[in-house]
Amino acid sequence: MITMKLPPFFAILLCTSPFWGNAPVTEAIWLNLPPSGTKCVSEELHNNVVVLADYVVVSDDHSSAPTISVKVSSPYGNNLHHKENATHGQFAFTTQEAGNYLACFWADAHSPSKADVSVNLDWKTGIAAKDWETVARKEKIEGVELELKKLEGAVEAIHENLLYLKSRESEMRIVSEKTNSRVAWFSIMSLGVCISVSVLQLWHLKRFFQKKKLI
Amino acid sequence: MEMKQIYVLAALLLSFVARISSLSITVNDVECVYEYVFYEGDAISGNFVVVDHDIFWGSDHPGIDFTVSSPGGNVVHNIKGTSGDKFELKAPRSGMYKFCFHNPFSTPETVSFYIHVGHIPNEHDVAKDEHLDPINVKIAELREALESVTAEQKYLRARDNRHRHTNESTRKRVIGYTVGEYILLAAVSSLQVLYIRRLFSKSVSYNRV
Repeated sequence: MITMKLPPFFAILLCTSPFWGNAPVTEAIWLNLPPSGTKCVSEELHNNVVVLADYVVVSDDHSSAPTISVKVSSPYGNNLHHKENATHGQFAFTTQEAGNYLACFWADAHSPSKADVSVNLDWKTGIAAKDWETVARKEKIEGVELELKKLEGAVEAIHENLLYLKSRESEMRIVSEKTNSRVAWFSIMSLGVCISVSVLQLWHLKRFFQKKKLI
Repeated sequence: MEMKQIYVLAALLLSFVARISSLSITVNDVECVYEYVFYEGDAISGNFVVVDHDIFWGSDHPGIDFTVSSPGGNVVHNIKGTSGDKFELKAPRSGMYKFCFHNPFSTPETVSFYIHVGHIPNEHDVAKDEHLDPINVKIAELREALESVTAEQKYLRARDNRHRHTNESTRKRVIGYTVGEYILLAAVSSLQVLYIRRLFSKSVSYNRV
């Protein structure tokens, strides 16, 4: 069984932001990397989305410091972030093309520990990646007003998502209808191909036998 | 104790945990994702959809199994044989929760999942000399409600992705198999003709057919 002994104060220190009141703590998922083998997470993103990610390696015993390697690639294979022998790091990019973005982690070969390495990945896209501190500083708002502004941002993101879903659905509907008409067309054509091939066969054989003077 | 002081400090500053995006992971046999729940009684919610499946003949995949284990090791939530579902549970205690996907078949499946841990501040969070501002509670509740809408949208998006995969696969199959069928038909009929010609050819004894 995989045991995850996470020192909680470490996680809290990482995540706490020095804000009054409702400070959003960034939550993250933990992955368990086996000593050999890669673990990849991916997300399908559309164009012009801000991605902000943080990763930290947490080890149970502080004597061994396992290191990992990270590789982030775009759907067309471009390398967005590549780091070897790291215990922590972060990367940020804005998507240029729509598609599947892949982040892969693997434990380094000469890593000291033989147990599984646990990695904390904090992956934020879109509205979650927005830097509210600069917004608060620029517009000089704080506290409840800032929280309400965040909620407003969330509502706008919901609206955008809805419009995106609508456009995807209409694209898919077009493909479905095209496939539907193609099935009908191709089936009728296959009947036509069958008939024409058999007519050609008979015609060719008749000519052959007439040449051979058998009929 | 030093940890307790940090806890209190964190409790003063923390009131709500934000969301992560919906990630996809390829499940070969068992894949587990962990998430840390800071407070007991937090609402853990989420959804997952099996996105990429190229089953050749069957129309419905038997599905994957999903289990949620508490830090103590016992299974808190269990869904068997599904191609996507939503889940909601209340954390019985704080700690590291394990979310596992199990694929009973040998073909790897890509699962798109989203996990969210939501917390509404209550009297236990603030220190003894502070009082809980009701507006903070209301804002947190509002945020949770918006969060559930966002989660639903992510689920719809993942399902839309799956549908899109199926559509693309259907389109490719229609074109591929039809063109293949025509070519095969033409090839078989020309083979037939060639064979019959061979039967009647002069090199073979002409009385034998």
